[in-house]
Formats: sequence, structure tokens, C-alpha cells
Amino acid sequence: MKYWLLFMTAWLAVSTADAQELYSCKNTRLSFFSSSPLEDIEAKTDKGASAINTKTKDIFFKVPINSFQFKKKLMQEHFNENYLESDKYPFAEFKGKINDSPEFSKNGTYPVTVTGTLNIHGIDKTYTAKGTISTQGSTITVNSTFNVRVADHGIKIPSLVVQNVAEVVAVTVNGIYTPYSK
Amino acid sequence: MKIVSTILLCCIISTYAQAQGLDKLFDSTTATHTRVRDTYKSTRIVQGQSTEMLRKHELDFRVAHRFGDVGGEFGGSKTFFGTDNSTDIRIAFEYGISDNLMVGISRSKGGGDLQQLYEGLIKYRFLQQTTDDHVPVSLAVFGNAVISGMTSGTDKTAASHFEDGSDRLMYVTQALVSRKFANRLSLTLAPTYVHRNHVAYMDVNNLFALGAAARLKLSKRLGLLAEYYYPFRSQESKDYFKATKGITFYNPLGLGLEIETGGHVFSITFTNSTSILENQFIPETTTSWLQGQFRWGFNISRRFTLFGKKDWKK
Repeated sequence: MKYWLLFMTAWLAVSTADAQELYSCKNTRLSFFSSSPLEDIEAKTDKGASAINTKTKDIFFKVPINSFQFKKKLMQEHFNENYLESDKYPFAEFKGKINDSPEFSKNGTYPVTVTGTLNIHGIDKTYTAKGTISTQGSTITVNSTFNVRVADHGIKIPSLVVQNVAEVVAVTVNGIYTPYSK
Repeated sequence: MKIVSTILLCCIISTYAQAQGLDKLFDSTTATHTRVRDTYKSTRIVQGQSTEMLRKHELDFRVAHRFGDVGGEFGGSKTFFGTDNSTDIRIAFEYGISDNLMVGISRSKGGGDLQQLYEGLIKYRFLQQTTDDHVPVSLAVFGNAVISGMTSGTDKTAASHFEDGSDRLMYVTQALVSRKFANRLSLTLAPTYVHRNHVAYMDVNNLFALGAAARLKLSKRLGLLAEYYYPFRSQESKDYFKATKGITFYNPLGLGLEIETGGHVFSITFTNSTSILENQFIPETTTSWLQGQFRWGFNISRRFTLFGKKDWKK
């Protein structure tokens, strides 16, 4: 009986510690921008899901490809159908680690780099991206912009539209995290 | 001993919680019905409508052209396999009021009994197929009204003799049911009702037809199309036309290749019918594939997004 009590206390301690280390954001904003001689293309979504473990410094993003909104709906259709093939590859995912040691318990803004694997269009690639992490009370804000070469993820741009779509697109991520609760 | 095992157990649980990883937190987040896109690349299949719609505030500029007979009496090398002639030409502006409602106006030459045709059309999509089969098919209805601007003929038994203005009108009502199978094959059934206010003697004012069409996707931007209509014309009418005028009615069969190039969809078509509008090609096809009376043609669709900036900022 005593041991059970001990066990329960220990287990409770573990799980509560976990909860405090976990921060999540269910409406992470992501956008990308393609600039080319003929056309600037921009798309955005606020349907990204993201989480940070402040202890292990793990960071995770997951975004439904078909949630990206374009100015031109036809373009959005082609993005899903011809380029990202969102029926086959419905999500883009990033699993990484924060390389620096920002003090999550203290308010402030910390420049960081994050290294991890980005999966787009079913193809993994390792990236190291710069960003900032700010903490304010119990919320954490993450901002980052990095470049993705579309060819690295097996996305082919036909020669016909090569003037319209850039080879390298700038991806911007912005999330405001709160302590994770189920 | 018991303490040790308890601590061990705690460690195991705690490592499990760590290794479980952040990605598991969001596993249950997305369970919505995703709509099936691109059953066809365009709002038309070969001649007839598809269940595809224009998006809200999209303008579609369409040009369709049908050349002369490839073979037979009017084809061959002297007309360069029909290229010197045109049996029908249509220019149209169509517009998406919402993602499921589109309207349009067009002018066509007319390849049947009547010429100089002005058309107003409307199409509404009730249902869109979803990937999880929550909605198994896409369902749309299409309707149009066509008026002929040609001068009335003198032969009172001909379709082109107009007693008054209403004789110039023709209508089509059509239901379209589509399903995309395994991302490659799309099938459509199209029960169609054609009404022509004034027709030639012994022709039929009201005609029911059943259309069937398919697309086989060859690559991301290329599709093979086939379309067939079976009009239920009365035997009496068929016999009369055959006996008195030597005219046989044939069922319209169209084949096509659909090529998507960014904002354009380009379809190369081969059809036995001479005309483009449903009002004519369903009841008035008297040309046969087997006698070389088929023609090539094309449909070009160019889509423009209007008010894109305004809608996007919302």
C-alpha cells in the first residue's frame, strides 16, 4: 500500500512535469512566397499544429497541405493536384531540435537555430533554420523564415510555367504557444 | 525490492512519455471530409457539361471550334481533311457566382437547323464527392436557353421558319452525376432533356437523351476523354426522315484529349456531330463516324480570377 502511494506520487510528478514542459499551438500560421519574373505567388494557412518540449527542446510542426489559401483558386487547385499532390501527401511535417538554450522560464526574446527534418511531398530533407523564440509569462512565440528549394522535395515545375513559379520559396512560420492540455 | 521495481516502473513510464514524441499530440486533429478535386479539368467534357464548376469570382473565356468532315464527300485532301471548313464556332464568357453556381453567355454559329445562336446558361452543383465516400458522387444540374437570330425561312415545314419570336427558342435541362475512381478514372452519367419550340415537320419538340462520359487521366496534365449520347427519338420520326429526305440520325460520339497548362485547358476533340451546343448536337446529329463524317475541333478555356486581392485579404 505504501509503495502504491509512492508509485502514484511519482507517476503524478512525472506526468505533471511533462505537461509543464509541453507547449502547443493549434493555429500556427504558415505562409510561403514565390517570387518570379512573371508572377509573385503567396499562400497562407493558420491551420498548422505545433508543439515544443522545453525540456528536451524538441519542436514539431504539422500542416495540412490543402489548408493553404491562394489568391487564385485555380492556382490553389493546381498546387494541390499537380505540385504537392495533397491526396497522396496530405501533410507537411517538421521534426527538429532547438540548438540553443533559451531560458523558457524567463521573459525575453532569444535568437535560435533549429535543426531537423522537413517532410514535404513525402520527401525528407534536413534543414537548419534561424528564428526567434520569445517568452512572455506562460506563452511562447516562435518566428522563423527559411528557404525551401522545391526540387529538393521532388516537386517538378514544368517548363511551361518556369517563368511563373520560383525554384526557391520562402516559408514563414509564426506560432503562439500555450501550456499543453488535452 | 519492491521500491526498486516501483522506481523502475516509474522510469519506464516516464521514458515512454518522452519517447512518445510531440508528433503524437496531433494525431486526432484532422478528420474532415475532403472533397474530390479535378474529376475533369474543365467545366466541359468533350461537348457536354461536366460536374466541374468555376470557383467564386472566376471568369472563364471559352472558344470552341469544329471543323468540316475529315473524310467522305466533303473531306479528304481538297479541304485538308476538313480544316478549310468550320461547322460550328462558339465564343463564351462564363462566370462563377459561388463555388457551386455558375452562369454564362455565348454566341455560336450553330451547326444544326438553326444558326446565329445566342445562349444563356446556368449550372449548379448540389453535391461534391468526398475522398472518404461520405458523399459518393458529385451531382450538378445544367440548364440553358438559346435564341436564334437568323432570318426566318420561307419553307413552312422547315425548322428555320418562324411564325413568331418564340419559335426561335431552344432549351436544355440536364442532370450530371460523376464519380472519380482511384484518382485516374472519372465517369459521368447525364440524363438530358432537350426542348425545341419549333422543329421541322415530323421532327420532335421534346427529346430525352442519356449521356455517358469518361476521363482517363494519363498524367497530371493530360487526360483522355470519351462522351456518348443516346437520344430516345421516336421510330416514327426516324422512319419519316429516312424515307422522305434520306436523313439518318446518329448518336453523337466524341473523343478528346484534355491538356492543362496552368491557366488554360486545351481540349482536342473528334466528334461526328457538327454542332457544339447540346440543343443541337443531341437531336440534330446526322453525320456518321463510319462514313468519314467526323471532324476534329478544339475547346480552349482560359480562366481569370477577378477580385482576387479583395477576397484573399478577408
